[in-house]
Amino acid sequence: MESGRSIEQGDVHALVKEVQKGNREAFMTIVATYQQRVFVMAYSMLRNKEDALDVVQETFLRFFQKAKQFKEGCNFQSWLLQIAKNLSVDYYRKNYRKRREFESPISLDEIQAAAEPDPASSSAGEMRDVFLRGIDKLATRQRTVFVLRHVDELQFHEISETLNISVGTVKSLHFKAVQNLRKWLSPYMGITS
Amino acid sequence: MKTCQDLQKDRAAFLAGELGLERRELMESHLKGCARCRKEVEEMRKVIDAAGLLRGEMEKAVASVDWEALPAKVADYVFEKAARPRRLTLAERLRPLRPVMVSVYAGIVLGIILGSLATFLVLKRQAPSAVSDNKFFASPEFIDRVELEMARRQTLDYLQKSQYLLLDIAQASSLGKGTGMAELASGRAKDLLAKKKYLNPHLVNTRMAKAKAICDQIELLFLELSQISDDLTEAEIKRIQGMIEDRRLLLKINLVEKELEESEV
Repeated sequence: MESGRSIEQGDVHALVKEVQKGNREAFMTIVATYQQRVFVMAYSMLRNKEDALDVVQETFLRFFQKAKQFKEGCNFQSWLLQIAKNLSVDYYRKNYRKRREFESPISLDEIQAAAEPDPASSSAGEMRDVFLRGIDKLATRQRTVFVLRHVDELQFHEISETLNISVGTVKSLHFKAVQNLRKWLSPYMGITS
Repeated sequence: MKTCQDLQKDRAAFLAGELGLERRELMESHLKGCARCRKEVEEMRKVIDAAGLLRGEMEKAVASVDWEALPAKVADYVFEKAARPRRLTLAERLRPLRPVMVSVYAGIVLGIILGSLATFLVLKRQAPSAVSDNKFFASPEFIDRVELEMARRQTLDYLQKSQYLLLDIAQASSLGKGTGMAELASGRAKDLLAKKKYLNPHLVNTRMAKAKAICDQIELLFLELSQISDDLTEAEIKRIQGMIEDRRLLLKINLVEKELEESEV
């Protein structure tokens, strides 16, 4: 997903230095450049616009507080998205796990155990709910990799930089996520395995 | 020719468009010839396509945000927070005091160490080493009293046994040959002589002076008795009995015994 304007890496470092001095204009330029990327990261994890905007604010606050810790030569976008990812995961753990369990008292396993659904009769809304529940059921790292790849549309190497893990690990987590979703969602997708 | 197993882990990456050219071509040629893998890849593709539901939803959410206004809003929030004095952590609150506190803490610690050391040295000097070594301590006075009491009891015992022997001798009509009495008396006298040797160090005490005098006299008599042999003459028996009577040994023993009994420590 394309996100707003783009600036050169060298310009970013100059802007970060200005932010370190407390320059509001430089800070706003950075926000304008990366806000959509951060929002997409947060939204793909939380799936709630207001919560995602809260995470955007907190991410830039954290950036402002830690701007001095940013090392020249590092990839600024990956560094910022790492902050956003960590805040999103924290937010999800604090507020979402329980809330979604409460909203969906029937687990995916129970749905699977019920009468075989007819894929043809499953509406798009039902399909969406089942898919989202499957995403929630994934382990945090599998969910993050799957969402970053197929919702944020980041490449494996970008995910690797953002999550600070190797490309091999990203590939493995992505494979496991797809396999698990295939297993859980099979009754709803006309999959016979 | 690659097997299904070899290519299994590449399937998801293949669908995500993340395979290199060589492996992608391998996968494509394998899928053409393997219906089972083709079916699995198709199923995985359905799962990945389902992510489009979420993507479409997110695109709507992105479109609904006022991105032009957001940077100013975020900047207001961040700069306001930054301007507000941050709640300090405990460590940060203590930081201004640290240079002063360091010397205070150092003084307190040094005081505790020196105080402990001084207390230890004072207590060590007061306490006799025997206390720590043997875990038992008795004062010299106490030990003297115990020794005196032991001497008193052993002397009493010695005097009583001597008295019985002397009584036996004094009342005996004959210690002569064939009666066996002389031999028995000689044996008992030897036992008491041995006992006296053990008693001697205790009798050195001035409070045992009277007992020592009578014990010494008895000892002399027993020395003679110990020499008694079976062929002891009537005259010799008379002489020993005479010695007991002349020296009033039995009476003296009685008196000393009484005195010792009364002077229990």
